[in-house]
Amino acid sequence: MQRLAEIQVPADELRAARAGDVAARGALFERVAPATLGIIRRLVVQKAMAEDLLQDTLIAMFEHLDDYRGEAPFGVWVRSIAVSRCLMAFRSPWHRARVALESWTEESWTGPAEAESRTSDLIDLDRALARLSPVTRAVVWLYDVEGWSHDEIAKAFDRTLSFSKSQLARGHARLRDDLLPPAQSGIGIPLRSEFDGH
Amino acid sequence: MDTEENDLDLVARLKRLDAAAAPPLGFGYEALIDRHASRQRRERRRLAFARGTASALVIAMVGVSVWRFDQQPVDSPRAEVEPLPAVDAPASQPRIVRADTYFAVAALEDHIASIDDALNDARLRGGPAEVARLERTRALLVDSYTSVRYAEMVNANF
Repeated sequence: MQRLAEIQVPADELRAARAGDVAARGALFERVAPATLGIIRRLVVQKAMAEDLLQDTLIAMFEHLDDYRGEAPFGVWVRSIAVSRCLMAFRSPWHRARVALESWTEESWTGPAEAESRTSDLIDLDRALARLSPVTRAVVWLYDVEGWSHDEIAKAFDRTLSFSKSQLARGHARLRDDLLPPAQSGIGIPLRSEFDGH
Repeated sequence: MDTEENDLDLVARLKRLDAAAAPPLGFGYEALIDRHASRQRRERRRLAFARGTASALVIAMVGVSVWRFDQQPVDSPRAEVEPLPAVDAPASQPRIVRADTYFAVAALEDHIASIDDALNDARLRGGPAEVARLERTRALLVDSYTSVRYAEMVNANF
């Protein structure tokens, strides 16, 4: 799957989509929707909520096509819309309540077919990532995978630079603890002391 | 050092996770537009319902206000048609009722009413001595009543 930030849209297709051409808009949807869902599902674990946010993002994209100035790849512009929608959802008390209510019953993204296509360590990582808090998960993903700087993350969350750094460190520590065996993660309690044998 | 290496490994694995196959998209462009349209319809319906409820509430409140206004005591038609001279008009009630005089006034009024009943009976069945005694008692009670009401009026004006 092509990464969202790398997606470019031909100028004529963009022009036709701006003019309201249904075929061009359909092609634009096919081009960006899978990658947009790819990033949203990493920030928002709940499937129904992620699909709602995808809907909001794509509708906002079509409604504001005229605002895209072409300074960066089209995918980067769509990504900024998607991330801002996700962060708005994190701030909303309604969404927080919904996450708390649905976290136990929500359908998982990792279905049997998808799980078969991955190695077990990626499945473990996927689950460990899902166990992080929404804010920590978003900071880890935006910094490590999307390549955002701490400054960009701090601005997006409307917080300080140290907030981004501390969230990243906390997220890495949690993921390490979840993924590595207790002896390697440094927090496990050994069953036998090293002095027991002497 | 170990932590840095672990972090690098972690980042590499996160990037591999990102490159892994994405879940299939559950809908197409037409479905996106349809869902958006149905959501807008739902929001419009919700807004219309909220507006309808607010309008009904306002109408109900206005109705209650009008009904309460209609329940206010009005001047009697007789008073409008044949206004009495000012001297015969009943004394206006003080706007503020004082609790301490209220009970005295009520007791005097009850007492005068019971004397009136007894007086009627005495005029029908009793002798003139009984009637005279009751009339004297009534006069004393009316004097007391007048004094209390006068005191109330003076107090209210000051």
